[in-house]
Amino acid sequence: MEAQADTDPTMLLFAPETANAPHEAYRRMREECPITRSVDGSVSGNPGAAVLISRFEDLSWALKHPEYLSSEDAIAIGNDRPLIPLQIEGPDHAKYRRLLDPEFSPKKMAALEPDFRALVNQVIDRFIEGDGCDFHEDFATPLPSTFFLRLTGLSLDDLPVFLQWRDNIIRPDVEPGDFDAAAEIRAATGREIYAYFERALDERVETRDDGLLSRLLDAEIEGERLTREELLDICYLLIIAGLDTVTATLDCAITHLARNADARQQLVDRPELAPAVVEELLRFETPVMMVPRTVKADVTVSDVDLKVGDTVTMLLGAGNLDDAEFDRAGSVDFERERNRHLAFGAGPHRCLGSHLARLEVRVALEEWHRRIPHYDVAPDTDVQFSPGIRQAESLPLVFRSAGA
Amino acid sequence: MKVRVDAAACEGHGRCYSLAPDVFEADDHGHCIVTLPEPGTGALEAAARRGAENCPEQAITLEGE
Repeated sequence: MEAQADTDPTMLLFAPETANAPHEAYRRMREECPITRSVDGSVSGNPGAAVLISRFEDLSWALKHPEYLSSEDAIAIGNDRPLIPLQIEGPDHAKYRRLLDPEFSPKKMAALEPDFRALVNQVIDRFIEGDGCDFHEDFATPLPSTFFLRLTGLSLDDLPVFLQWRDNIIRPDVEPGDFDAAAEIRAATGREIYAYFERALDERVETRDDGLLSRLLDAEIEGERLTREELLDICYLLIIAGLDTVTATLDCAITHLARNADARQQLVDRPELAPAVVEELLRFETPVMMVPRTVKADVTVSDVDLKVGDTVTMLLGAGNLDDAEFDRAGSVDFERERNRHLAFGAGPHRCLGSHLARLEVRVALEEWHRRIPHYDVAPDTDVQFSPGIRQAESLPLVFRSAGA
Repeated sequence: MKVRVDAAACEGHGRCYSLAPDVFEADDHGHCIVTLPEPGTGALEAAARRGAENCPEQAITLEGE
């Protein structure tokens, strides 16, 4: 296995431990095979050709051309119909985004900041008197999911079942490579998710609350309300996207800052750097390592011919470390002048929740470092990150006083 | 120098108005509005350039550069 990883950067890329530190795999992909196209199906488990794209310029182009590289059909995660808006293209996609973008706009998000800041402090209160915590379990997991349930107007009592669904969908507990078993778990979970949201919507048809689901019930596109199926397909996307990615981003950011005392001290000394810290760690750590596309029309990208039906993996993390785009790409620099990172994608599918994610991660880092400026990863701990969406399995931290 | 945004290319990343709030602003969808199309020289010009350079869609142009 190791010998193969030495010779084949694709093998290295998909080795489970690579998610812990993917930079070398990304570098080798960019340098040795910036666009690969293999027909043996070994990479994706799909029968068609599997394509990997790793340079910033190619990724940037591909993300902005969904007429060739489409987000429709690119993932099956237990859903019966395309997720809205992720798996819709063209004019319909634009309509859904016009409806949903204002719900996640920077202005809307800014209004939530005091409430979120208070929640961060409540969560920190639970463990700050102790010697440490499991950052993933005690902070990064409850924080975004609790806030998500508040936003949508769903009951906090349902948090455990949401987290179980999230895990079933995103990282089903099966033997590596057992795609059939994974699909079965996802399908069963999908049925539960649809049933849950059917009930949740029924309740709000009777009595509106002030959450997002109720607002979606009254929302109109060109004078038409959303159908029940459309509402369900939006809800399905929100739970998948809303519960996992911010947790991963917090895990990645704090692991980085725990291991890099100089970077952490900059943030502690200058809290106003927080927005730049968020952007730079999104770039450098790229929590969502890759996003899928399928080829809808034959197209040539940097001299490689992609064919209809090819499944494409866009290595956002590799693009974000590309020296051709970023000055000293391999260095973390909170004063970087230009940072057009692709951590939230680009083009029409730019992450719908990106402004919420930025708010959550920034405020979490601000409050954490105000109250817990000195911490380390617990001794003798190897932090294990999950591939794809880089979430820590656990992240034990120890707190210490200044100078200790 | 004149600052322009290509509304068709803007996807609402929000990098411009976060970095240069004196030159750019968000509309209700989070897309970019240029509030100071002629920033003159000095700090505001630098801010406009910063916003343009950080746009992942390269939707902002600085004319007369």
